[in-house]
Amino acid sequence: MRRRTLLQWIASTTATLPLHRLRVFAQPRELTPEAVATLHEIAPTVLPASLGAARIGGIVDGFVAWTRGYREGVAMAHGYGHPRLQKTPPSPVPGYVAQLSALAGSARAKGGAWATLDVEARRALLDEAFTKAGVRALPPRPAGQHVIADLMAFYFRSSEANDECYRAMIQRELCRPIAITTRKPQPLR
Amino acid sequence: MPTHETDVCIIGGGITSAMLAQKLSELRRGLHVTVVEAGRSIFDVQNRGRYRERAAAYGEHPWHDDYIEDQQASGIISMTMAVGGLALHWGGACNRFSEEDLRLKSMYGLATDWPLDWADLERYYCDAERRLNVAGEPGPYLEDRRSAPYPQGPIPLSYNLQILKRWAEQSGLKFNGLPMARNLTAFDGRGGCCVYDTCGEVCPSGARYSPDYTFRQLIAPKKIALHDRTLVRRLVLDDTRAHVAAARAVHQDRPDETVEYRAKTFVIASGYCWSSHLLLLSANSRLPDGLANRSGTVGRYMNGHRFVSATANIDDQTFPGQNMTHSLISREYFRCRTDKPFVRHDTRVWESSAGRDPRLRGPDGKLLLGEELLADWRSRTRGSSVRLRAYVDVHPSADSRLTLDQSKKNRHGDPMPAIVHRFDEATTARTAATRAHVLDVFNTLAKAGNGRIVNTGEGDYLDHPGGGCRMGTDPATSVCDSFGRTHDHENLFVVGAPTTPTGGCTNGTLTFVALTLRSADEIARGFPSA
Repeated sequence: MRRRTLLQWIASTTATLPLHRLRVFAQPRELTPEAVATLHEIAPTVLPASLGAARIGGIVDGFVAWTRGYREGVAMAHGYGHPRLQKTPPSPVPGYVAQLSALAGSARAKGGAWATLDVEARRALLDEAFTKAGVRALPPRPAGQHVIADLMAFYFRSSEANDECYRAMIQRELCRPIAITTRKPQPLR
Repeated sequence: MPTHETDVCIIGGGITSAMLAQKLSELRRGLHVTVVEAGRSIFDVQNRGRYRERAAAYGEHPWHDDYIEDQQASGIISMTMAVGGLALHWGGACNRFSEEDLRLKSMYGLATDWPLDWADLERYYCDAERRLNVAGEPGPYLEDRRSAPYPQGPIPLSYNLQILKRWAEQSGLKFNGLPMARNLTAFDGRGGCCVYDTCGEVCPSGARYSPDYTFRQLIAPKKIALHDRTLVRRLVLDDTRAHVAAARAVHQDRPDETVEYRAKTFVIASGYCWSSHLLLLSANSRLPDGLANRSGTVGRYMNGHRFVSATANIDDQTFPGQNMTHSLISREYFRCRTDKPFVRHDTRVWESSAGRDPRLRGPDGKLLLGEELLADWRSRTRGSSVRLRAYVDVHPSADSRLTLDQSKKNRHGDPMPAIVHRFDEATTARTAATRAHVLDVFNTLAKAGNGRIVNTGEGDYLDHPGGGCRMGTDPATSVCDSFGRTHDHENLFVVGAPTTPTGGCTNGTLTFVALTLRSADEIARGFPSA
């Protein structure tokens, strides 16, 4: 009887402890140096090679900065027509670190560093990772499902990528004189 | 109980409130106007560029805390409750209704006529366009003649819209650029448009009009007083007369303390939802069905317009992203011959990237990487997508209602509103034919320019809603007269969207403002000139 009471007390007490906070404290708030290195290693596979190494590196740096700027629990747009309250979900960083670590581990299991794998082997690893994470399409913006899909969204959903695709200086959503929009966009230099 | 004495107490702080307060301050200098708004003031215009960036990058709402979590309605189209209201993040479309909207009964035997003349309303459209600094051009249809030019020339058509105009006009319909409340150059303390292209979310330059600018201009020189974060919960009648004596409110920081506003004239400018709601909430032992509700029509005839949309693929080449928030409009179907089946709608055309966005997998399901993804994207950018939409004129039945939901109450114990839209029999009977007509117009547009419709859709809510306090000449079937003065209470007005008997077939904001400016003249007549 006393043992059962003790167990009940432990159960009720631990239920009220802020254990989730302890878990959060144990998780990385920023991408670790190893994770960033893996991201840099994988980026040339998933971003257009025509951008060049320096620009690809810059996009990865921008994405890392995006993760640093992420804020949890902030009200998101509540929409129009059928509005509802939503908050930004928990930071994707812990998931990102685990996913990058898993990809690096998978590459090692295939025989070496990511860069040494042939493109089909890399594709297979990413395909498997995306399927596992439930990624079915390119997210409209980084959404925390998978770090590589989010890196791809970070670039391919940008105004810069839109210009690259059309090979024209459309400059979508960038502040510019309205008169510029009346002319056919200049070819991309 | 803290009590505030004022000449005019305006309840609600959206676009109609701003316009009313501004015009009253001009017409009657020294008039004491107090605006009471439940939501907070969001006047930090200097931060809007940053808010926009975070909205784009993270999906964060650029209007922080613009809602009150327990002050919400079912069936409402936006949760925003703040100084500026929904017009903080409207697109800025400034279409006029047409004379047919005011004469549905006499021309077509449908719905009801509005109790005012087109020529009368047209004058106030000009006033509204001036105050909102609308950029527009005269329409190509003779019936759309105007008594005054737009205050600004038209928004220059982007290269894409020039292409789409040529394409669309091959169908025989005439199009022009949508008139918008968007500064082309800096005006009235707001910047000029630099095509951030997020008009419907947040405009960092202030080029797209929003009421917070007007309120700030009125508050600084003390032309009005603004009491924000103060929810009016009840209107209280005079003991001996049918006059409204006071509005009782509560401030968010002092929920246990009632604040009283006493005024010669009360104006409810709380939009299509909260205006009816306040009248119903104000029921008392003398008027158990609520204020201004002798007719039983408060909360009834809730209106708006349905919409049908489509995407067309065409051969002409455009470059999506030039100015996606601007569009073309045709008013060809604003008029309907009386010997034909009734159908009225606008026809809108936008540039679009639908179906031409980057994708993760190719048609065979293969994961696309790097250069492959870019090549796949490029391969799908030949030709153009075009977004089409029609707002369709539908008419409410008396059962199209806002009611008090006793099962859902706010922190003060007030029941929240529930809105259910219903159509009258004639509208319901012609639904299929109307849809077929609109799709036929879309197909005609597409085919005339060697294009094809690739998908269609219909909205499942009514856009630009209004009603609930409809105007009319008969106190037995309407809540207020054409000025918004309630039939039952001489010193109580309702302005803007709630007073509309029907919802038209194009964006409603300009009409709500024009009606309000007309009300302002009438309200001012109640106060002697200085």
